[in-house]
Amino acid sequence: MKLVKATKTRLVFELGQREKRSLPQILKLYPCVPSAHHVLSKSGRLPDAEGNQQLLEEALAEQREENKQLVRALLADPKRFGHTDTGARLSLSPAEVEWLMQVLNDVRVGSWVILGSPDKKPAELNATTAPHFLAMEMAGYFQMQLLEALGRET
Amino acid sequence: MDSKFGWLDKRGVIFYVGVMAETATPQIQPGIVQTIEDKSKSSLEPGYLVICWNDPVNFMDYVTHVFQVVFGWARKKAEFHMLQVHEQGKSVLTRESLEKAEHYVHQLQKYTLHATMERDE
Repeated sequence: MKLVKATKTRLVFELGQREKRSLPQILKLYPCVPSAHHVLSKSGRLPDAEGNQQLLEEALAEQREENKQLVRALLADPKRFGHTDTGARLSLSPAEVEWLMQVLNDVRVGSWVILGSPDKKPAELNATTAPHFLAMEMAGYFQMQLLEALGRET
Repeated sequence: MDSKFGWLDKRGVIFYVGVMAETATPQIQPGIVQTIEDKSKSSLEPGYLVICWNDPVNFMDYVTHVFQVVFGWARKKAEFHMLQVHEQGKSVLTRESLEKAEHYVHQLQKYTLHATMERDE
């Protein structure tokens, strides 16, 4: 995934064949983080703690729905995710980069949670854990490309 | 104090005296006023801490970026807090009223950062 054009309003990336295949697969895993993962307060010592926790869950659920629709629209729009001879071309506005990073990080963190929230890379992978580990790493890879690109926009 | 803008002071006094109206003594029950003030004070007081906790999954650059976006901080300040999270296990990002603290936690959790709000005791 290579940044080929960066302006204040648009970031254009070129994706190789493998990246072209894997990005939609990673994005289709969204949402990945279980809703129980989101906790408003550790101590729980807040006024109407239960009500406020519910508000957080509702806000995040709403955002997940919105992001799911945006992902679907992005992948279906040939102007923004267009196929080329060498792979694909991805055109994003800075706002789209922001939500795409949220989506990718959700897949990264969600895969990590499914793996049992390990402190280090699992020593051994098996048929069950390998796909989640791969999803975590791939989501992280795309995320880093977007972060680097944001630093380079002119 | 000798000032070349002394005329401003005089104009200010004249204007002030000219427009000042008589003020009426408030006729509100003290007990009721106290109740309203207490309620608004507790929800507006910056008595809640927004804390970001360390985890081994979020990238350091990503955390810095999120702090910049959510709080509008300069990169240096965002990096300072990111390093505090990384090295000390947590960082108190801001101290706010209940509503504002909730808003920030919502924003940080939208980016899947491990952030919570705690009462400052």
